[in-house]
Amino acid sequence: MNGSKPSEKTIKLLHSIAFAAAMLAFVLCLLISVNYFQVKSSDPLNAPVMKSLVEKFRNNPDDEQLKAEIRQLDLLARKAFFTNQWQIRTGGYLLLFSVLIVVICIKSVELLTAKMPVVPGESPVNFWDSRKINRKWVAYSGITLVLVSLVFAFLTHNELGSTLQRSTNKDAMAGSAQPETGNNLAKSDSASVSDSLAPGSQDSSALTQSMDGFPTQQEINANSPAFRGPGSNGVVFQRGFPSSWNGSSGKNIKWKTAIPLPGYNSPVVWNDKIFLSGANATKREVYCFDKTSGKILWKTTIEKIPGSPATAPKVNGETGFAAPSLTTDGRRVYAIFANGDLVALDFEGKKVWAKNLGLPKNHYGHSSSLVMYRDLLIVQYDQSGNTSVMAFAAKTGDQVWKTSRDVKISWSSPIIVNTGKQTEAMLVAEPYVISYNPATGKELWRFNCISGEVGPSLAYADGVVFSVNDYAKLAAVKIGPTPELLWESDEYLSDIPSPVATAKYLFLPTSYGMMVCYDAKNGTKYWEKDFGTPTYASPMVVDGNIYQMDKKGVMHIFKADKTYASVGDSPLGEGSVCTPAFVGGNIIIRGDKNLYCIGK
Amino acid sequence: MKKSLALAILIFLFTIQFLNSYGIQRFPKPEFESGYVQPETLLPNPRAEVLAFMDIGVLIISLSVVSWLVIKKRSRNGVFWMSLFALAYFGFYREGCICAIGSIQNVTLALFDKSYAIPLSALVFFAAPLAYTAFFGRTFCAGVCPFGAIQDLVSFRPQKLGTRLNAVLGVIPYIYLGLAILYAATGTDFVICRYDPFVGIWRFNASFGMFIFGGLLLAVGIFIARPYCRFLCPYGVLLNWTSRFSRKHITITPAECIQCRLCENSCPYDAIDIPTNTRNPESKQTMGRKLIFITFLIPMLMLAGGWTGSQLHEPLAGVNAKVKLAKQILNPVTDKNQAETFEIEAFKSQGKQQAQVFAEASEVLHQFYIGGWILGGFIGLVFGGLIAGRIITRYQADYVPNKGNCFSCSRCVDYCPIKLPLETK
Repeated sequence: MNGSKPSEKTIKLLHSIAFAAAMLAFVLCLLISVNYFQVKSSDPLNAPVMKSLVEKFRNNPDDEQLKAEIRQLDLLARKAFFTNQWQIRTGGYLLLFSVLIVVICIKSVELLTAKMPVVPGESPVNFWDSRKINRKWVAYSGITLVLVSLVFAFLTHNELGSTLQRSTNKDAMAGSAQPETGNNLAKSDSASVSDSLAPGSQDSSALTQSMDGFPTQQEINANSPAFRGPGSNGVVFQRGFPSSWNGSSGKNIKWKTAIPLPGYNSPVVWNDKIFLSGANATKREVYCFDKTSGKILWKTTIEKIPGSPATAPKVNGETGFAAPSLTTDGRRVYAIFANGDLVALDFEGKKVWAKNLGLPKNHYGHSSSLVMYRDLLIVQYDQSGNTSVMAFAAKTGDQVWKTSRDVKISWSSPIIVNTGKQTEAMLVAEPYVISYNPATGKELWRFNCISGEVGPSLAYADGVVFSVNDYAKLAAVKIGPTPELLWESDEYLSDIPSPVATAKYLFLPTSYGMMVCYDAKNGTKYWEKDFGTPTYASPMVVDGNIYQMDKKGVMHIFKADKTYASVGDSPLGEGSVCTPAFVGGNIIIRGDKNLYCIGK
Repeated sequence: MKKSLALAILIFLFTIQFLNSYGIQRFPKPEFESGYVQPETLLPNPRAEVLAFMDIGVLIISLSVVSWLVIKKRSRNGVFWMSLFALAYFGFYREGCICAIGSIQNVTLALFDKSYAIPLSALVFFAAPLAYTAFFGRTFCAGVCPFGAIQDLVSFRPQKLGTRLNAVLGVIPYIYLGLAILYAATGTDFVICRYDPFVGIWRFNASFGMFIFGGLLLAVGIFIARPYCRFLCPYGVLLNWTSRFSRKHITITPAECIQCRLCENSCPYDAIDIPTNTRNPESKQTMGRKLIFITFLIPMLMLAGGWTGSQLHEPLAGVNAKVKLAKQILNPVTDKNQAETFEIEAFKSQGKQQAQVFAEASEVLHQFYIGGWILGGFIGLVFGGLIAGRIITRYQADYVPNKGNCFSCSRCVDYCPIKLPLETK
């Protein structure tokens, strides 16, 4: 600072360098901005030329010249994109460098031309006046802030809070179509059952409009789209079903129609259409019955499926060739058979797509039923030495995901449940209950609690899943990322029928005809009832009652409560091993030979 | 000996760079996959955890050195060189992360979200500058903060701002602080990091808007010294409050002020309090009445502010991801040619319940409603406090740095003709 006076030449030179560097910085700024907008606006893969070439290639997939042209263009577009990026980066470095030169030059000039401080003139503003002005302007800015905030709040306020509240309530109500009164199923119990069993999201109309590829939850709950109802969990979300009928006298029997081919699959219903399948060693058929009249609207023979084995698999007599129940999404109906044939038919019976999943290595015969999650068809394919769960696009049959399972062969079916936090697909096979994300197939959690040749499917309610198998144990597992065993029992076990649960109770049938009621949360046994007849069909929770069909075709109806109270026993007039479907006040029952519609 | 030391330091610096390779993503981000635009990252590349301790060490050493240079050596040159070091290390080398300003959000989130474990470095970067400020004034701003350093570099022609502008712009940092805390407490966003104006310069990577914002601030900084520090920095609010009670603070003169007035215009930040040589023209009774009035006014201002804040809770919550998703679900894309948003696609693939999204969004809205009351109340208190502070006046005879606003840059020291033998030129 106190050195010899710098020459004017030096100062001038520094000024010139600073000016030149500043100009360079300015030009660089402009260039970088232009380049940035170029990069931003260019979308190499969606360029019109590229799009038209790709479209042409789609029509001529064997055109090698076109392929080479697309590759060349793609390469050029990418090169241009990355070159632009490089230019921006290099420009940035140059800009920084030029600004640095400006700073150094100006600081040097400041240092070289430092002047002695001078005493300033009298301040035009008095100290006290300045305080007063300061106070005033703080107040002004405060008032302005409040006014601007209020105007902004007024302009942007759109009752979002109450809209969300209304939508939440609406969705909650949509998810609990289960009636609450007039039965022994307590209100809270009913609500939690409904909530916990919803197989998909409780879509409000808003979302439904944007997702027309699959049914809404309301539609699902108003139908019986899968084995054991919506989500395959054994709970019916409707009310007003008959509790008394007689197949011999015809009381409350609307119609009865013979089923052409045998099968142990349970009926699935969508609006006025009932779907079943039947098969023997040589023939496989899907049937559609009219719910009003009982007439067979159409039957489709499933044949000529690519990859379908020429010879029929060996199956057990109690499983047969058509044990898995069908499923439907209201757009198509899907069926699977013991030989691995998987087919989607439209509601007129026309084949939409079909494929063979490979002959399952299954010594009793494949029996896992199908279930839908949104627009995905979920298939549990647990066979000897190769177990997996798959999802196929409902529209096209394309495999969306496949997850291998390190479990043994099983005959159980998946359930789809809404746990309140998410929707999960839960499967059971020795040794685990495993939960998957049904959208991706990603495993969410697993719990080791079961063994043997698992036949019964799971039951779920209020955060607890129940698994059971003969010669193993009954386990109540609190679900979550780290599932825990709530209680277990080995007193009564089932090898075929599946249990059902409400938030308070678990109802466990055994294949030798017992029905046992447990406290769902702590395993206290409330009652047991011996119906005296073996049972293969699974019980259903309907309007506060349990409907349990025995092998002789007698439906035992009793209160879903901690004390046993019979509502009635209704004979079908023929044996049945299938789980009935409950839709629109009618009960659809598959007998050994006939299909029945019960209703007033 | 010196050469060996320099060589050893060089080898050490090169060696620690290899530690970074353990933390950096092995594969580059995918390009062109789905049209998805990668969001601008708020954090630099990951690095070895042990290097966080080095950052803490560098911070503590820098704070100690700068405090010594300011309080003991009274050296503007020393402070300037330290600020260049801070710019190089905390700015360009550390790419502006972690920084004390942003650490406010880490601390807030740690207080409100039990599942969030605050990194030690974030805690130290929050607490250490405040602790040093409590003892030595805002020495952190003087020579350790890279934000201050880069603005100081371009402050070529600083102009004095008028009383009015200073009064109006001076309230912005308080509002920014309140908003940053609200957004961090609700787990919505780290707005200080998102709108860090210089991060693009540190990293050569930011949105175009942020580059423009940073460039504009530097351009403004040529004429208005340290505009971010004075009129935006939320951490500056905390430092300002702490510094008012600092045990030691830089003084313009090392001895008695001789009222030469040479320093009067030396501060580019308008942070020198001039002597109150004249008597207050207002009577004691008037002052008393004003004080009583403001005492009653402050709770009213807080209430009015709180109510106003609560009315703003919906737009404030609008940037929250949960609220955004709920709004998109409520207002779905009706045009079939228009693709659904990525948020909606992700929501569908999760299999999450719509009711759950709405419930979560409602919860967030409620948090913002409560937060709006608190934020508004705080801003009301700030306005009341600022007005009260301009009524209560302590008489002073000398030119002194304003302990709250002074950045301890030591510029004014050079203007004082009184020197101690120890002072470095």
